[in-house]
Amino acid sequence: MKRNPLTIAIGALLLVIFIALLFIFQVRQTEVAVVTTFGKATRPITQPGPYGKWPWPIQKVYKFDNRVNELESNLETVLTSDGYNLLIQVYVGWRINEPQSFFPRFAGSTNDAVKNLQGVVRNAYSGVVGKYPFSAFISTDPKALKFSEIEQEMLKRVQADAGANNYGIEIKFLGIKRLGLPESVTKLVFERMESERAVLVSTIEGEATTQSSAIRTRADTESAKLLAEAEAQATKTLGEGEKEAAKSFEIFKQEPELAIYLLKLKALEQFLQNRTTLILDDSTSPLELLKSQPSAGAQKK
Amino acid sequence: MERNTQKNGLGNLFLLFAAGVATLAVSRYSNTLAGQVVTAFLFLGALVALMSWFQARLEERERLEKLEFDELTKGSGSSTLFNTQEAEVFPAQRSREQFEKFFVPAFTVLVMVLEAAAFWWFWRWLDRQPEGAPLRQPLVALAILGIVAFVCFLIGRYSTGLARLGRLRLLSPGASLLLLGAYLLALAAIGIAGAEAGFPALDRIVARALCCLLALLALENLLTLVLEIYRPRLKGKAARLLYESRLVGLISHPEDIFTTAAHALDYQFGFKVSETWFYQFLQRALGWLLLAQVAILLLSTCLVFIETGEGALFERWGRPVNNGQVFGPGIHAKLPWPITKVYRYRTDQIQDFNIGFDEEDHDDDHGRAVLWTVSHVKNEFNLIVASRESADNTATNAAGGRKAPPVNLLSAAIPVQYQITNLTAWVYNNADSARLLRNLATREVVRHLVSADLNEIMSTGRFTAGEELRRLIQARADERQLGAQILFVGLADIHPPVAVGAAYEKVIGAAQKREAEVLKARAYAIQTNAMAGVEAFKLRQQAEARSIGKVLAAEATTSLFTNQIAAYHSSREVYLQRAYLQALARYGSDARKYILATTNTQDVLMLNMEEKISDALLRAPLPPAKKP
Repeated sequence: MKRNPLTIAIGALLLVIFIALLFIFQVRQTEVAVVTTFGKATRPITQPGPYGKWPWPIQKVYKFDNRVNELESNLETVLTSDGYNLLIQVYVGWRINEPQSFFPRFAGSTNDAVKNLQGVVRNAYSGVVGKYPFSAFISTDPKALKFSEIEQEMLKRVQADAGANNYGIEIKFLGIKRLGLPESVTKLVFERMESERAVLVSTIEGEATTQSSAIRTRADTESAKLLAEAEAQATKTLGEGEKEAAKSFEIFKQEPELAIYLLKLKALEQFLQNRTTLILDDSTSPLELLKSQPSAGAQKK
Repeated sequence: MERNTQKNGLGNLFLLFAAGVATLAVSRYSNTLAGQVVTAFLFLGALVALMSWFQARLEERERLEKLEFDELTKGSGSSTLFNTQEAEVFPAQRSREQFEKFFVPAFTVLVMVLEAAAFWWFWRWLDRQPEGAPLRQPLVALAILGIVAFVCFLIGRYSTGLARLGRLRLLSPGASLLLLGAYLLALAAIGIAGAEAGFPALDRIVARALCCLLALLALENLLTLVLEIYRPRLKGKAARLLYESRLVGLISHPEDIFTTAAHALDYQFGFKVSETWFYQFLQRALGWLLLAQVAILLLSTCLVFIETGEGALFERWGRPVNNGQVFGPGIHAKLPWPITKVYRYRTDQIQDFNIGFDEEDHDDDHGRAVLWTVSHVKNEFNLIVASRESADNTATNAAGGRKAPPVNLLSAAIPVQYQITNLTAWVYNNADSARLLRNLATREVVRHLVSADLNEIMSTGRFTAGEELRRLIQARADERQLGAQILFVGLADIHPPVAVGAAYEKVIGAAQKREAEVLKARAYAIQTNAMAGVEAFKLRQQAEARSIGKVLAAEATTSLFTNQIAAYHSSREVYLQRAYLQALARYGSDARKYILATTNTQDVLMLNMEEKISDALLRAPLPPAKKP
């Protein structure tokens, strides 16, 4: 029976690919690998490149990232030496430096390694934080602040624990990512911050009253002073007028009797200008005319 | 033969159902994702097989009815008994026709909806499944799924063969689905084997692919229903089963690809499309064409186009090419995949992240006003800031636990912008450089704030702090060999937490109120001084006017008096009397006058000088005048 060459070609191609997949694997620059034979770790690989292996289930390849990985702890409440509750979260940089040690301890699972490391890190920061007072974490005083020293102490503790247990892991760095306060303490801080603002508000309002009162009082004083000066000057002006007018009165000396009579008459005119009621008897000039009518005889006289 | 259809159809139905139950149980127990998706195919297959079996029963009834009718017509001749309407004579045929006309399309719609729903549900379910979850008893699951697949394959092959040879069209859908189930179970088994061989993602990939197949089947059903409307109806040509998937037929009988395609085209267009030269050519050359396509695809991986703003690292067998040389924009040649692989990164683009809140839940707040009293980002967290004032107050630093610690809290959204400057370092030194940079930056911000005073950082120290933070973050990034340049750290959006924002605004309000009060007082002062100035001016002017008036009046009086002296000297008595009488006449004319022209002065007259003089007074009798 004649076989179709196309079928043969496709079959051969698929076979080659299948064999390549079964017998060859790559390790990247960013990876390390461990080859197991019937479940036993037989060959650690730390250099990148193509490698051969027997197909599964004889040999199996476990690959791990050999770059610096990061681990972040949860935000957790810890107690300072002076009794303050503090929330802390740290991050840790780690990398696999001995795959042959790392693999059997964590059954080839990076997740398991992270879980174990979490415990070690948690133990470190809980212990170290308890040795320092609150002011070592937060303070404007550079002498009291021990932030970096605390981080270094935590790092040394984690490195020591990881090294002692021979995890095959190198701890590269550790840093405090977040510091916080528990919710109840946060409320207290908010209350205190509000009180501080309230004091500030009262101070400013007091300043407002003081400043505005001062300005108003000063204005009233200046105003009163101005009016007093004006009144004084007015009085002076009137006096000068009187003085000037008095000069004209020299002429009255020529006929003082007439002058006085005219002044009286002037005053009388002023009296009579308003609604006046006059009660006059018949002796008042010219009312005497009422009782002493000139008679005909008299006229004759 | 029809009996065979029913019997085999029922067998397929039970087998598909049993295979579905077994697969579900095994997959659930072993936590195999692909296995659980295959269950959907098996149960859908069972449903289709049930439908086929029911339709086969109807056709069997129709066949028996016709046989019976033929027997009767042979024996009775042309009796009037059988000249009635056809529907009354052939109820089984009628019911089969009604079934095909209404129930089959409805069932096809149902299958389509179920396939689409299964796709939707499984796709979302796969999203929720954790990555790299371990399989339980994978080898046992592999073995059971293998056995089920094998049984399905055997029975499926037998049934499809039977359907094809015996032209039992109603047996075909169930048989094809049985065979498809066998292949899919084998795929699920390969997924398990892959996970065991070091490719844990294979199971999920297979599951995703099966979900896509479900979606494709739903689309195919939809297309079939639409095309069925426009299909030319040829008399005597039996309608195909709408719920029988051509795609399933193609997968379960890949060797029949051209036959299936030809049948589909012929059926759809109503003439022999499969006999055209183009179709014949495709049938002959499709294999080579596909092979050439694959070859071209593989060759195309030898050329790489790096876009503007990108940098790329080439790895040959996992090793960086040219010691980690960064390939810039342009065309580059390389060995085909998977020998040389390319990893692209956005090197020129300015990238950024924010410190102070969870960016995953962050909405774009463009266009919204940023207020201290309204949270403008989700999950904003409070940063601790040292407080110089509180620290001075030692009473608050007691270990009572209920007293506020000597700190302030601050909300912030601090943008950090950076650019990748050394791609090799960025990619090869840290597993997640972007995350590390974010953590380093957050650490520096926290470190800076714990030693900074709140009021200072929110006012005068803002720019200084931003520049200082940029420098510190850059130093930490260099220390960790990140290969990134920090371009900008902004402290524009730092403010008191929302809970105390209103208190801070009150301070600003009080300051404004103070300014308003001072301004009001100033306005009062200006007004008062102006009024006083006016009043003073008025007083001065009035005094001056009065003074001048006095002088002028005096001068006028002098002038008048000079003339009066002359008149006086002329006739003293008369002048005086004249002046008196003139004054009295001029000014006394309007005065009310009571003239007492009497001499009895011993009486006392009492006059009421009110405005209204009583009538009694006016009518009072006067005493008679004494005669002299």
